[in-house]
Amino acid sequence: MAFLDVRGVSKRFGGLMALNNVDMSVEKGEIFGLMGANGAGKTTLFSVIAGHVAPTTGEVHFNGRRITGLSPSRICRAGICRTFQIVRPFAGLSVEENVRVAAIYGSGRGRSRASRDTLVNEALESVGLTRQRAGLAGGLTLSGQKRLEIARALATGADLVMLDEVMAGLNPTEIGEMLETLAELRRSRGITFVIVEHVIGALMTLSDRILVLHHGERIAFGTPEEIGRNKHVEEVYFG
Amino acid sequence: MKALDIIFGLALAIGGLLVPLSGDAYLMGLVFQLAMWIALAQSWSMLSSTTGYLSLGHAVFYGIGAYVCVLLTGVVPFGVALAAGAAASAVFAGLIGLPVLRVQGPYFVILTYGLAELVRNVVMRIESALGSFGRMIFMVPSFEVLVWCMVALGILATLGAAAVRHSALGAGLAAIRENEVAAETVGVPVARLKLLAFVASATIPGAVGGLALLRTGYFEPAQAFDPVISFTIVTMALVGGTETVRGPVLGALGFTLLSEALWSSLPQLYMIVLGLTLIAFILFVPRGLSGLADRALGRG
Ligand SMILES: Nc1ncnc2c1ncn2[C@@H]1O[C@H](COP(=O)(O)OP(=O)(O)OP(=O)(O)O)[C@@H](O)[C@H]1O
Ligand SMILES: [Mg+2]
Repeated sequence: MAFLDVRGVSKRFGGLMALNNVDMSVEKGEIFGLMGANGAGKTTLFSVIAGHVAPTTGEVHFNGRRITGLSPSRICRAGICRTFQIVRPFAGLSVEENVRVAAIYGSGRGRSRASRDTLVNEALESVGLTRQRAGLAGGLTLSGQKRLEIARALATGADLVMLDEVMAGLNPTEIGEMLETLAELRRSRGITFVIVEHVIGALMTLSDRILVLHHGERIAFGTPEEIGRNKHVEEVYFG
Repeated sequence: MKALDIIFGLALAIGGLLVPLSGDAYLMGLVFQLAMWIALAQSWSMLSSTTGYLSLGHAVFYGIGAYVCVLLTGVVPFGVALAAGAAASAVFAGLIGLPVLRVQGPYFVILTYGLAELVRNVVMRIESALGSFGRMIFMVPSFEVLVWCMVALGILATLGAAAVRHSALGAGLAAIRENEVAAETVGVPVARLKLLAFVASATIPGAVGGLALLRTGYFEPAQAFDPVISFTIVTMALVGGTETVRGPVLGALGFTLLSEALWSSLPQLYMIVLGLTLIAFILFVPRGLSGLADRALGRG
């Protein structure tokens, strides 16, 4: 069984099938890309995996354990953390406090104070927020708040991190830095990533494998090269 | 500032504990009131300042404590009756907490107010059905002992509020206040922590209600569950400032002294002054007396 196993997940919102019988298997240590036009169901899939949205049908298994139906906080403590496309900072707390809460309560619960400090410092450092750590999170720019989303997810100590369009609004230099950061986190800490990104170049560079959704359905799956050659993807995505 | 806070708190605590030795009834009455409001406002802050869930029904915990205490005095030692009052408030909070804390914002404010009124009316009905229109209690401990107990509760509530704020629990509650969905996402067990804070904030008011009852020696439901108690707690806590442990102390201090001045000259003005002060502080001094103190001492 794969590290993260999504089996036959559907989600209906009224008359709309946001997800239709989606399967997805993510292996430990890989960077998994999720592609699809606006409204394809990418964010909904993250919400189902993270426990924010209950699937209409289907199951999610993580690390050999069924997690469907668990609360988001239980799923986080099991080792999965997601970021939000529309950022949700703890605006009235400092940047450091934002990240510290995640270190206290995430899957790293029960750590010593010192190892929690390390987790916080590493998370801030890896997204380049160390200098702003004392400032209020609400005072960060949008790009800063996107990076804070990542730092918070990392600080939970999650083994699987799902990033929802964290590069939107970053300039090319910043995107380059972000790519390096994520690759480095995978190398040094063995974190598995699932990444949703409209910056196709970034997704192609970073991902080991890519899944393409369209109107809630799986339409293609493969390596970046395979996806790049796929006519169907080209039609629905770029056409 | 931190050192100043500790010195100030120690001075208040020691002063409060020494006053009964003087035997001055007026001073003891003042200390009793002050300690009572500090205990209530600090308890309220454990839930409401930390999570932003503003309770407008804390009189219910005070009333339950008073009721349990009046039923038990004479049956068990008064210390046990007080503890039972606190326990009853805690249990009540634990029972209603989960559904009540699902409701947010203004709805939570109104729900807590409504629940407190409901309980008040139920107790009034029960009492009148039993043919009891107010109960007298005898064998009350000396006033000195009651003052000591109340000061102890004020100290306990302040230490408790400080402990909550500076603990992992406090960090989780602050995250809940700022963004509940994000808090849940980074692993904060939101429902559990809110319930914990709710129970913590209900417990000491139960004992406070019991002590206040022992002081008057008379129980009357409309009085023990008086919503003015809830209004006063909220006003003191907000005027004092919700960002620090110092806030409720300053708010209670300011209002107790103010009402002391008013009761003797213009008692009918009390509610008006309470309302006006609250409005003025919310509009012009959002960080409360505590924020003013910071500024006066050149900080923040
Ligand atoms: N809570 C909801 N209630 C009703 N419809 C919803 C809800 N959430 C999402 N949808 C709908 O489900 C579909 C999939 O939305 P989703 O946000 O998952 O798409 P997405 O792939 O993340 O798109 P984008 O690239 O714009 O972020 C959309 O049509 C959206 O309007
Ligand atoms: Mg989306």
